[in-house]
Amino acid sequence: MSPSEAIDGQGAVRSRPTIGLALLGSELSVLFRRRRTWAMLLALAAVPVLIAVAVRLSSSGPTPGRGPAFLDQITQNGLFVSAVGLIVSIPLFLPLTIGVVAGDTIAGEANVSTLRYLLVAPAGRVRLLVVKYLATAAFCLAATLAVTIAGALIGVALFPVAPVTLLSGDTIGVADSVIRSLLIAAYITVSLLGLSAIGVFISTMTDVPVGAMATTIVLSVVSQILDSLPQLDWLHPWLFSHYWLGFADLLRQPISWDSFGQNAVLQGGYFVVFAALAYGRFSTKDILS
Amino acid sequence: MTRSWVRWIPAMAVPVLIASAAVAVPLSANAAVSLPDKSPQQLLALVADAKVTALSGTIQQTSDLGLPQLPDTGAGAGSTASSLLELLSGSHTARVYMDGRTNLRMQILDKLAERDLIRSGSDLWLYDSSDKKVTHSVLPGDPAGARSTAPGVSLTPEELATQLIAAVDPSTKLTVGSDLRVAGRTAYELVLTPKATDSLLSSVSIAVDSATGLPLEVSLNARGQKSTAASIGFTSISLAKPDASLFAFTPPAGSTVTQQPISPRSDAKHTGPTQSPTAAPGDTTARPTVMGKGWSAVVAVPASPKISALLGSPLYSQLTSAVGGGRLLHTSLVNVLVTSDGRIFAGSVPAARLQAAAAAQQ
Repeated sequence: MSPSEAIDGQGAVRSRPTIGLALLGSELSVLFRRRRTWAMLLALAAVPVLIAVAVRLSSSGPTPGRGPAFLDQITQNGLFVSAVGLIVSIPLFLPLTIGVVAGDTIAGEANVSTLRYLLVAPAGRVRLLVVKYLATAAFCLAATLAVTIAGALIGVALFPVAPVTLLSGDTIGVADSVIRSLLIAAYITVSLLGLSAIGVFISTMTDVPVGAMATTIVLSVVSQILDSLPQLDWLHPWLFSHYWLGFADLLRQPISWDSFGQNAVLQGGYFVVFAALAYGRFSTKDILS
Repeated sequence: MTRSWVRWIPAMAVPVLIASAAVAVPLSANAAVSLPDKSPQQLLALVADAKVTALSGTIQQTSDLGLPQLPDTGAGAGSTASSLLELLSGSHTARVYMDGRTNLRMQILDKLAERDLIRSGSDLWLYDSSDKKVTHSVLPGDPAGARSTAPGVSLTPEELATQLIAAVDPSTKLTVGSDLRVAGRTAYELVLTPKATDSLLSSVSIAVDSATGLPLEVSLNARGQKSTAASIGFTSISLAKPDASLFAFTPPAGSTVTQQPISPRSDAKHTGPTQSPTAAPGDTTARPTVMGKGWSAVVAVPASPKISALLGSPLYSQLTSAVGGGRLLHTSLVNVLVTSDGRIFAGSVPAARLQAAAAAQQ
């Protein structure tokens, strides 16, 4: 088939060990120099900022038990702004941005006819897929950190900082709570890896990036709708969005690692399935653009 | 063309691998267990001699009572009636830590929330993270007495099993079922079968840890229902002593603390594992009376304003159906009859027996 396939083999990897890293570096710099990427990160960072400003400006504080979880705690402790921001972003905003980035990976290159040039350079299809996926994963981390850090900064700026009350009623110090915030960011990044793999696979199916983006986002919404139907109990543990809000287990005392582990196994399963599918599709595809 | 076919092999192999792992892992966990035979009486003695003083573990409670299921989210969530219903359907996970007879911590893990029950010596704290409310009680009298945190409330498989075993009388047939594995430990299965044929309960099975005699799981089976109607059991357990800091509770900043005195009484009749663990202790607006004996006993609760308030909710009319003399809440394990004058009759018996009991009491 195409000349690029000959370079796919092990020999190429061994003789040019740095090419993957160079490709990853260029891919990351392309991704993070895009205006679109920055616009999405800024939009994500705006979520906790909007929440904090709205709570700050309203005369009466939020009542417990209404609105998203932890909202009533913001006025006493600014460190909770990140948590509220994440809870609000997880169902739609985060999957939306991941869908855009993952859906664009292969289809975007094909759409502007740069895919064949990427493959003519000694890159190889598998390595290109791996690099594209890693770049998407890097964006997952950046997106989660954008919400977490923006939330922490605006929270500290507008509200008092105090020791954090965990869900269990225990209180931990500020340093401990920073560690837990980072753990939550790690949890949510892992949560989004399955969706990223799905997005990259869909992206190999089409030359129209918008189609791949929309399909990925719709799938994430469908998964969440299925997850809320009790009649489908048996299906729930298999849905990639099932553990998305499970990061609350990191806010218990002692930390419950069960959902972290289950989530990682589930996302790993989605990654393996869709990586294999993407490999099957992309390595047999006729690259015409 | 053959080469392109080869490239699809991973995509075909991976789902097969995952499916076989999903089947094989639970199977290997339930690999046949073979323990030396024991008679039911020996098992009862094993439970009575259980000397577990410290444990930490995760408990799962599931109910499949044939009630309608509501979506997890939506307008209905959060109201009193639907949180009651929530306890009767679906599944709940709790973590439990125990050290000695007087230190206990129970955490009911809700979605983005948690309800905690901490007993340290004679102090009893209830904490609900969703509204940041703390309830503090001081347990009366002998703090080394009852293990139970609140009278009549069964929180752990162990407490429920002890209550069920204490109620064993000649109306119950005792048998030993097959050996099983619960929470990674080997266990005997003690089966309690009511001799009475009018009980909705067909059998109760208690998994007894073979090494320590600790009841690990209790399942209730309903007549005419294939799946287990209700069960509570450990999914993981460790017999190591939990960290002492877990039992020290200080109300967090910003919470509202209510002091709730406990009147010394212990006559509350438990209705199984579905009872709300956060039910306020000492809440005695109406004293229930028990009619009949054994498995087909009927509990009668006199009318009270608190109950009639609960009956005003729309969920009540949705869940119950009109029968002669009132409205009936029917589940596969328990029937509850609310008469038109507000009295409540409940029991694991057919509805006709409740109606007869209601008519007889007038």
